[in-house]
Amino acid sequence: MNRDDILTVVRKHLAGVLDGVEAASIDPARSMKDYGANSLDIVEVVSASMRELRLKVPRSELSKLTNMDGLVDLLHKVATEKSATP
Amino acid sequence: MDHRRARTLNLGDFWQGDDLDPLRAPPDFTEWRSATMAEQAIFQRPLTSASGPRTSFLLHGERREVINLASLDYLGLNGDPRLVAAARDALQHWGTGACGVPLLSGTTTLHRELERQVSASVGAPSTMLFPSGFSGGFGLMSGLLRRGDVAIADEKAHMCWLDGIRSSGARLVLYRHEDPKSLDEALTEHRTKRRLVVVDGLYSMDGDLADLPRLLDVCDAHGVGLIVDEAHSIFALGENGGGATEVHGEQRRVRLLFGTFSKSIASLGGFASGDEELLEYAKLYSHPYGFSAALPPAIVATNIEAIRIARTEPERRRRLADNAAYFRRAVCGLGLDIGLSTTHVVPILVGGERDLLYDAALAMLERGLYILPIDYPAGPEDRVRFRASISAGHSREDLDTALGIIEDCVVRPLRARGKLAT
Ligand SMILES: Cc1ncc(COP(=O)(O)O)c(C=O)c1O
Repeated sequence: MNRDDILTVVRKHLAGVLDGVEAASIDPARSMKDYGANSLDIVEVVSASMRELRLKVPRSELSKLTNMDGLVDLLHKVATEKSATP
Repeated sequence: MDHRRARTLNLGDFWQGDDLDPLRAPPDFTEWRSATMAEQAIFQRPLTSASGPRTSFLLHGERREVINLASLDYLGLNGDPRLVAAARDALQHWGTGACGVPLLSGTTTLHRELERQVSASVGAPSTMLFPSGFSGGFGLMSGLLRRGDVAIADEKAHMCWLDGIRSSGARLVLYRHEDPKSLDEALTEHRTKRRLVVVDGLYSMDGDLADLPRLLDVCDAHGVGLIVDEAHSIFALGENGGGATEVHGEQRRVRLLFGTFSKSIASLGGFASGDEELLEYAKLYSHPYGFSAALPPAIVATNIEAIRIARTEPERRRRLADNAAYFRRAVCGLGLDIGLSTTHVVPILVGGERDLLYDAALAMLERGLYILPIDYPAGPEDRVRFRASISAGHSREDLDTALGIIEDCVVRPLRARGKLAT
């Protein structure tokens, strides 16, 4: 699973909770809040992405993130660690 | 899972995982729960006597009386013999159940009487009842909103509104707590949609009052209606007990006033008061009104009697305000942070010190004080807190004893960690 696959999943779930936003147009340098997502939407997007990717990140690490790039990097790091451990 | 790690996790960590069967608790939840049994024991702890200014628990196998700062009986009416007599009489006359949903066969003349009493109390033309406050907020939103609508709520509005909005399929937009500019921006951004705005009259985790005049000015400028949830303020605040709406003199501009009988009325049930035609429409589309049993007559009779007392004994509200002011001043005097509170709901903020929150709650219980920790998701993770609920029923001695215990169990450890000025 590469970084782009993860970004695609996050974009898809964010577009799913917002109306009128195209997944492909979502800029990962911005935050979900910038796109009008509320705090409950964000929990939903992050959780749905983790479920689809079969990854789990503690909330305490998520609360430090400021934009979607940060989230994708974190998920990518966890995915890489997961595939490295047999 | 070891205890140290378990204590860094919270409910947000188990809302959704990578497990596959929704009818099985997530395995990591089960590990977390068993590692934090001591902390869990603060919640859902069965009381062994009535929830009044004091109550009791089994502690180490013995029944122990504690001062109760966790009860929402703000006027000190729980157990009042007049309420008990009203309930007993109604039980005898009406039996135990309403035996039907309000929309069909569950409404009695007693329910109609309660509706009239509430309307008269809040100065509204009409009132509808719900089986609970939660089902009322939820049912109004799911019943009145449609896909494509936008509901705009203060970010600290109660969960019953947020859940109801989401279940309706309408878009939920949260604006910054008590920020009229942020509300204005949300209304402007969604100006082409059908919109409504929801706020709490008194915020249940922070104890501050909504600044209704300023919020209503913004709503009026957009021609959008405002709902005020007075769950914690109805009958507790305002000269006649009309809540934040009365405190601000905004009875005319608030479109829908919402309240519950579960706190100051020491009973059960929810209500919405406002335009009669709107409520007649809401009755047909709010599913808790059509698909959930009506309040039992004994509960309705209790509510009627409690409202009568709340209206005719304004000294209860004065005592509540005095007690609350005394307690807030004393807590601040200890150097503690009560955040935004100006009312009988008094949070004591301990920042991000979650471990201290639980240790201190348990220590205070041992010392004879019951006060609840409020953790994420009920409040923000970096501002966890205790919530003290003050009642007209508390004596000064109760409050002084409580303050002494808070000093020993919260102030001292916070100081020791350098989190409080000495
Ligand atoms: C602001 C607010 N609204 C609604 C409710 C729900 O009321 P009830 O407990 O009567 O269901 C509560 C209470 O828990 C509340 O705090």
